[in-house]
Amino acid sequence: MKLAKHSRFHLDAVLGSALLLAFLLMALAVPLLPLYDPYEQDLMASLAEPLATSATRTYWLGGDALGRDYLSRLSLAARVSLGISVAAVGISLVMGVALGLIAGFFRGPVEAAIMGLGDLQLAIPRVLLLIASAAVFGSSIGMLTLLLGLTSWVTYGRLARAMALSLREREFVLAAITQGASSQWNIRKHLLPNVAPNMAIIASFEFGQVVVLEASLSYLGLGVQPPLPSLGLMINEGQLYLEINPWISILPGLVIFALVAGSQFVSQRFTPESRGDGGLSRVPTV
Amino acid sequence: MMSFVAKRVLQAGLTIAGVLTVGFILIRAAGDPVALLLPENATVEDAARMRAALGLDLPLWRQYLSFMADALRGDLGMSFRQQTSAVGLVLERLPATMELAFAAFAIGVILAFGLDLMLRIAGSERLRKVVLWVALTRQAIPTFWFGLLLILLFSVTLRWLPALGRGTPAHLVLPAFTLGTYELALYLRLLEASFREQETHDYVRTAYAKGLGRARVMLREILPNVLLPMVTLAGLNLGVLLGGTVVTETVFSWPGVGRLIVQAVSQRDYPVVVAGVLMTSLIFVVLNLVVDLLYAVLDPRVRLA
Repeated sequence: MKLAKHSRFHLDAVLGSALLLAFLLMALAVPLLPLYDPYEQDLMASLAEPLATSATRTYWLGGDALGRDYLSRLSLAARVSLGISVAAVGISLVMGVALGLIAGFFRGPVEAAIMGLGDLQLAIPRVLLLIASAAVFGSSIGMLTLLLGLTSWVTYGRLARAMALSLREREFVLAAITQGASSQWNIRKHLLPNVAPNMAIIASFEFGQVVVLEASLSYLGLGVQPPLPSLGLMINEGQLYLEINPWISILPGLVIFALVAGSQFVSQRFTPESRGDGGLSRVPTV
Repeated sequence: MMSFVAKRVLQAGLTIAGVLTVGFILIRAAGDPVALLLPENATVEDAARMRAALGLDLPLWRQYLSFMADALRGDLGMSFRQQTSAVGLVLERLPATMELAFAAFAIGVILAFGLDLMLRIAGSERLRKVVLWVALTRQAIPTFWFGLLLILLFSVTLRWLPALGRGTPAHLVLPAFTLGTYELALYLRLLEASFREQETHDYVRTAYAKGLGRARVMLREILPNVLLPMVTLAGLNLGVLLGGTVVTETVFSWPGVGRLIVQAVSQRDYPVVVAGVLMTSLIFVVLNLVVDLLYAVLDPRVRLA
């Protein structure tokens, strides 16, 4: 029984990672695929249902309002959204780990400043902070990625700091200090490897959250700008035609769902259920 | 107790000052509003006069001080598009957002308690897994897409409920359900964990020993002890709900603060954007404070720590 239970949980994680990997590979391969031009308009195919055919070709997933091939748009959208999300997670991961380890290792005013900044950021709901800063700083893809990254470091930072606080008192760190090792060396060689696994777990969960945040912003018209497609933007574009062709809004949502579910599967596999706080330490964002 | 209250209030005050500072930075980073405000044929002198009137010719630190002083008096500037105060516009929309947030909050908490008690009385582990799986699936669905799916099903296909706007209680059903179910999985897990923890206590064994039935022990003995952490978590998440209203309001054309903010962004009406964001955050900070203080009143261990 115990073995069966164990292997079932494993299956979740394998499925989740396979899903994420498949999407990442597909997104990377989009330019190589034999897809139609995602910008070419054909009014005959406007709002065409999936599998619609014209004299010359098949629209596998139909067409959007302007008659652009939907499969091509969706593939490009997935590529855009994934690219932004992966880069944003990378930024917040590096920033959060660095700031958290510095705060926990040096303590004192540095720690107070860093953690104060983190607390302040948590006082403003993440979506709102993103909306306001995207409104002010603009929403080019680069800026969007940067803003998503800058607003998401606190989760990493808090845990990295907490772990650094206990690691810095451990014998191997103290021994290194007595032998004249620099703080930088200690953080890099002793602290970083010890916090890395936990940071990876947070990153796998945060990835799904960032995908949703990017989609929400683009849905609201504050993220990726047309004619470039993104998953959230496509859902927005489809909302007008919900009665005529609901697929336009449904399909991109399914992709987001798969990405978030994959990310949850993976992160859950490595989060002990027995912690007993019911996942409290990770209040999700909307 | 008093020192705990004082410390906590001071901390909230600092956070509010920090949030306002973020607002100042955002509004200054938005650039010179004079170009947006004046008609195209305005002269350079007009622009200079307007800058002076708005206090934009002062050094930055004086602008900051007057921004903070105004903010403390409840003034976050005038809307660029409508000749009223930005705070006034937000206050006008606040009841709609509050209505949505509280309805969603109530739906989430009632659903969680109802489901958990039913599962507990039914006592089937398999059923519990199914319910939790459904709740987790909901959590993996972005809120705005879930709202669209509900519109598609209940408004477009079945024509049972209105999709857009606010007015009758029927208008509230879909948006509140959309928002309220998001954190169901979190609530269910917390309830499960707290019940499991409470069941190990002596008073539960005593209750069973007295011959009380399972349902009675659950409802009369354990439930009151589980309420506290549950209400705390839900109260703190009211802030998360407030953030979630932005997207939900846009999907359902709900005339609340979130929709106001999104519309103001597209009109580049920065004072309204900043006022909306700041006031929502302030509500969040104050709610956190109230929940913390309530917790200390209800549980003496907190204030002694």
